[in-house]
Amino acid sequence: MTVSAYYDDIAKCNKCGFCHVACPIFRTTGHESGVARGRLALLRGIIEKRVEWNEELEDPLFTCLGCGACTTNCFGKIPTTDLVLNARAEYLDKIGKKPAHRLLFEHLLPYPKRLHVAARAVALGKNSGASKVANALGLLRIFGRDLPKAEGMVDKLPMSSFRGTVKPGVYPGTGDKLKIGYFVGCGMDVIQVQAGKATFEVLKTKAKSVTVMDNCCCGLPPYTYGDLGNTKLLARKNLDVFEKLDVDLIVTDCSSCASFLKKYPKIFKDDERDAARANKELPMIKDVVEFLYADEQDGKKSSDEAAGSYHDAHASAPQQLTGTGKGSVIVTYHDPCHAVRGQGIKDESRGILKNLPGVTFKEMAEADWCCGGAGSYALTHYDLSQKVLDRKMKNLKDTDADILVTSCPACMIQLAYGIKRHGMKTKVFHISEMLDYQEQLKARQQ
Amino acid sequence: MINESFIRSMEEIVGKEYVKHSKADMELYSYDASVVPTDMPGVVVFPGTTEEVARVLREAHRAGVPSVSRGFATNLSGGTISHSGVVVALSRLNEILEIHPESRYAVVHTGVTNLELQEAVAPFGMFFAPDPASQKVSTIGGNVGENSGGPRCLKYGVTSNHILGMKMVTADGEIVDVAGPAFDPPGYDLRGLMVGSEGCLGVATEIIVRITPKTESVITMLAIYDEIPHAARSVSEIIRAGIVPLTLEMMDNTIIKAVEMGAPCGYPQDAAAVLIIEVEGMNAGLQEQAEKIEEICMATQCREVRTAKNQAERDLLWKGRRGAFGAICNLSPNYLVNDGCVLRSRLPEALEGVREISEKYGRPVGNVFHAGDGNLHPLLMFDSRHPEELEQAHKAGWGIMEVCAELGGTISGEHGVGHEKQEAMHMIFSGNDLNTQQDVKLALDPDNLLNPGKVIPLPPEGQRRLPPSEPTILRRPGGAAAAGVKEAMGIIKKARSEKKAVRFAGNGTFNGIGNYSETPAQIVDSLQMSEIIEYDNDNQFITAGAGVTLAALQVKLGEKNQWLPIRPSYFTTDSTTGSIVAMAAVGPERVSYGGPRDMLLGLQYIDSTGSMVSAGGKVMKNVAGYDMTRLLNGSLGTLGLITEATWKVATRPETCRMVAAVGSHEKCYAAATKIANSNLLAVSVTMVPEADNWKLVVGFEGLQIVVPSQIKRCAEVMQSIGLAVSGDSEYPLEEGCHTGAFEKIWQSPFVLQADVIIARVLECYLDLERIVRPDQVLLDVACARIHAGFVDLTAEQWKKIDSLVKRCQGHVVVLKASEAFRKSNDVFGSTRPEWKLSHAIKGVLDPDRIFAPGILPGRV
Ligand SMILES: Cc1cc2nc3c(=O)[nH]c(=O)nc-3n(C[C@H](O)[C@H](O)[C@H](O)COP(=O)(O)OP(=O)(O)OC[C@H]3O[C@@H](n4cnc5c(N)ncnc54)[C@H](O)[C@@H]3O)c2cc1C
Ligand code: SF4
Ligand code: SF4
Repeated sequence: MTVSAYYDDIAKCNKCGFCHVACPIFRTTGHESGVARGRLALLRGIIEKRVEWNEELEDPLFTCLGCGACTTNCFGKIPTTDLVLNARAEYLDKIGKKPAHRLLFEHLLPYPKRLHVAARAVALGKNSGASKVANALGLLRIFGRDLPKAEGMVDKLPMSSFRGTVKPGVYPGTGDKLKIGYFVGCGMDVIQVQAGKATFEVLKTKAKSVTVMDNCCCGLPPYTYGDLGNTKLLARKNLDVFEKLDVDLIVTDCSSCASFLKKYPKIFKDDERDAARANKELPMIKDVVEFLYADEQDGKKSSDEAAGSYHDAHASAPQQLTGTGKGSVIVTYHDPCHAVRGQGIKDESRGILKNLPGVTFKEMAEADWCCGGAGSYALTHYDLSQKVLDRKMKNLKDTDADILVTSCPACMIQLAYGIKRHGMKTKVFHISEMLDYQEQLKARQQ
Repeated sequence: MINESFIRSMEEIVGKEYVKHSKADMELYSYDASVVPTDMPGVVVFPGTTEEVARVLREAHRAGVPSVSRGFATNLSGGTISHSGVVVALSRLNEILEIHPESRYAVVHTGVTNLELQEAVAPFGMFFAPDPASQKVSTIGGNVGENSGGPRCLKYGVTSNHILGMKMVTADGEIVDVAGPAFDPPGYDLRGLMVGSEGCLGVATEIIVRITPKTESVITMLAIYDEIPHAARSVSEIIRAGIVPLTLEMMDNTIIKAVEMGAPCGYPQDAAAVLIIEVEGMNAGLQEQAEKIEEICMATQCREVRTAKNQAERDLLWKGRRGAFGAICNLSPNYLVNDGCVLRSRLPEALEGVREISEKYGRPVGNVFHAGDGNLHPLLMFDSRHPEELEQAHKAGWGIMEVCAELGGTISGEHGVGHEKQEAMHMIFSGNDLNTQQDVKLALDPDNLLNPGKVIPLPPEGQRRLPPSEPTILRRPGGAAAAGVKEAMGIIKKARSEKKAVRFAGNGTFNGIGNYSETPAQIVDSLQMSEIIEYDNDNQFITAGAGVTLAALQVKLGEKNQWLPIRPSYFTTDSTTGSIVAMAAVGPERVSYGGPRDMLLGLQYIDSTGSMVSAGGKVMKNVAGYDMTRLLNGSLGTLGLITEATWKVATRPETCRMVAAVGSHEKCYAAATKIANSNLLAVSVTMVPEADNWKLVVGFEGLQIVVPSQIKRCAEVMQSIGLAVSGDSEYPLEEGCHTGAFEKIWQSPFVLQADVIIARVLECYLDLERIVRPDQVLLDVACARIHAGFVDLTAEQWKKIDSLVKRCQGHVVVLKASEAFRKSNDVFGSTRPEWKLSHAIKGVLDPDRIFAPGILPGRV
């Protein structure tokens, strides 16, 4: 659909400026092109024929992180992210698409196996220092002008992907009730392999069986690039996989995937049949953060019942996992945009972390501000993304945290890179890795 | 003109990355939050330092390019829209530079948002009082530019009351420090003039803000009404009862519904109006005040009063109020908001007028507003895609301004004039008033390059000045018709034509104030101007002729249990209110009540052509035009003869009590600073030497149920620091608890007053003693002010004192001295760069220098 189809939404912008509050890009550049008010003004300008489609629009359209902080602060809840993404598609249509990302969207992302091979090739190059251009992120990104600078973002890449070790299929668990499907996001699969394993192990303790799914990319990367065609292609492939499964829940440990899978009905809004398919799957999709929190609450409830103190859950004695909240390890949490705004998950993560033994949870300022990673953003707009990251690092430093926890692989890369650049000692953990964090800490110290 | 080479020079100054000029960029800088027509600037620059701002302005000045300074462009009056000029975007100047909780001030870049400042000072138990609903996204520079207000301004006053000084860049690119962290520097009140000047007089880059200790607790209530006039009555009655709530905010049914449609905040949807009432202060007596308020509400036909039980409930009530503008989007895509201000008691009429206009133009309206200040915010709904709806909204907006002016109010209470209300300025100001304001602008910006063509209406085609018409709507009583004014106008006209000097006097108590003038001058006194022109105890203001003595004014106000909370240090019962204004005279209570600058709502004066000029008005909030009231305040009779002043008055405190303690100077000072920076809400904190020791005196004024507990806690602080509390006692309201001390000081042949910052009062005083030992002294710790009397003072000692005080970040003035001393010294101390600006204003408003020549700082 063209920009004009969204005139009603765009006309609701009163230029009040409230979206400036937490727009990481605006707070970094101070330029109106970086914030929802400005982006919408240009779209309105296009509709009202004051502004032409030309390359001047590239920055306003492509510097958006899609983090959604503007919508949170907007009274009219104008969905700037969606409007910008749509406009990106139109921009690419009119001004032209770059071939490099096509390769990625059309030839790699739909095929997990090809992706694994490519990842391995890149890892070899990178780890041996043999190739200058090679870095694993090449798989998840749209090649941008800042690419050479982004080279150093990942030190070392796993030689084998998660599904290279744990092949798709059904694995027995020690839990008693649920059958769980584990949706493996590309980032978890080829970069955060360690975290993927942690999730797999945790799920096995909670479920009767865990199915490691043979899914492909969720479709978010082409979607953020405005490429709706390839997005739908990936989504359909995944729906096919879902429908063949015999599970009660589909859990993913990538908050970006989770939020996007939940969005499937929307991307098919002009496509009744697929929309219906997507809607049917919707209730099954869970972010691992949601899942773990609900599981813990369940556990609490049933043991409270056993203890006969059901009516006063809060006063009940600590459960086996329950920490005192005053441990020696300081932990803080970074909200991935796709968790906090994408899915409204905020208290759950804190709930989990505060309950861990030996942990002191310290909230960091602006925890829900985007880290600047935004999927491939760090690669396409390196300088800007680093400035956004600097602000995050300052807030992190103020907490003195030993561990920074989050639940999105792209955030993990970005945060770890920031920590390295700022010479800090904080470790970045996926929330799945926190359940036996002491072991994990030991492992990493070696 | 903006051309290639101008853009190149901008790039050289700030760096290429920080200069934008593409077509898309210009579209992005063509608007602000207002609904005035957009316009395209020529280039946008993002300077990163004050020095860069100065270089940008210097270059623009050289090239004759107009500029507009811009915070986050959330203003609602078109203030940041530029026609082909350079936009100076201040978003990169975003650092909090200094926080001094112990001296109650902070220094911030102008691009810091209001909320960022609040968050930075909160850990110290302090806050910055102005709280516009846009605080998350409006910059301190913008708050200063518009003189923004917010809910709690009812109790604490607007932005202007909380700005101590600033670093600014002038139109020709010079960096000037205006005022500073110390109170009331000599020379014209330039910072007062800058606040609310909408970027037309200079570009501020750093602001020194006053921060205030948070009070102990707060109670938030929601009062629900079936009829709007009942809510309006509650508002008047609460204030009349002598309770000053923190907030008194009203929302009508339309707004309630809009808010509830978006995110429910628990407002009853069937109510005609709700009030959000908040009281804060000491724990002691607060509950009683809340109960009293509830009682008043119920007595004025309120349906129900609910009290927030915890912070979450409190936040929810405020969330709805803060989001009220935005909630309109649930009813209509766009809105135009007016911000006229009327007398509190006339709110029902004003709202009725708004309703009629809304019907007449077919634009639905919702009202959410600062009821305690009478400051309306009618939100007129329209769809910006339909030009005819926009036009109707503009017409309705104009009609609403007319209603406000008809009801004796003003066209803008907080959002500023900008482009939007420029023509409406005629409703409330005469041609001469407006020309005078424009003169001030041109004094500081002779080439008319800073935000040109805003605020003051433009003269008719082909003319340089506006015709001297009367205001089209507002009628001001007094003025030329008041007793004694015509005669004075005649004298001044004559003096002007003969180019002879005149000096103004009240009762002559302060004829020696200011620099010694060689020029013989005719004395014009204001004693005939002794009328009370208007006294409205309901709306708590009084307009009195300049010749009315303070004592007489207090008697008049006392009849209605009110008073003017000023006790100028060296005043006698004969001193006139005109002299308070001319001298900006205050006493130690300034720290809590403010000075004349904070109590003056408006004034009238005779200018150097012998014509009347009106400034301000009589409503509680007024940002229409440049702040001429503050400019005249403290101008020592060098800009005109003040004929009358309109004061905001207060309910008399039920009780005034002081507690005193004795001990070493270190201990007295330690206790004094602790008390001054605490939330004990002392009205004055001073110390004087007594025998071999010092005596600390702390005054408290207010409700019977509160003051005793303040005294008790204050005494505890004194004891904890090791002072011997010598007891507490009631003192008379009019005199205060310091008159004896000031009388003694005034007997000395030489008297000086030094202002520094709280943290350096004692240090400064002890160093002063080393230069020359005062004969009499009073340290006003809370105001950071040193009053000292000397038997003698040499020029050399004076120089040393001057540089000492400057080192302590302050300024010092000789109030009384021998003629010989005054002849050979500038009694205002060594030159401050900002005086140049004062002199420029003087030069334009009194070109023949007939008013009190030679007495200004710098001996002008
Ligand atoms: C939803 C909403 C709610 C609002 N609520 C309130 C409210 O409750 N109370 C209120 O008073 N206002 C309110 N406003 C209006 C607006 O937010 C204020 O006027 C605010 O102070 C403007 O700040 P800004 O940073 O956006 O300034 P801008 O709009 O950028 O500038 C405002 C003016 O100040 C000048 N200026 C800016 N910076 C400087 C500087 N450094 N030196 C000199 N001049 C400068 C500009 O030239 C311009 O004339 C509201 C606006 C919106 C959209
Ligand atoms: S907050 Fe919403 S309405 Fe306000 S300027 Fe931003 S996008 Fe527009
Ligand atoms: S989505 Fe994020 S980066 Fe994009 S405009 Fe909104 S707040 Fe800014």
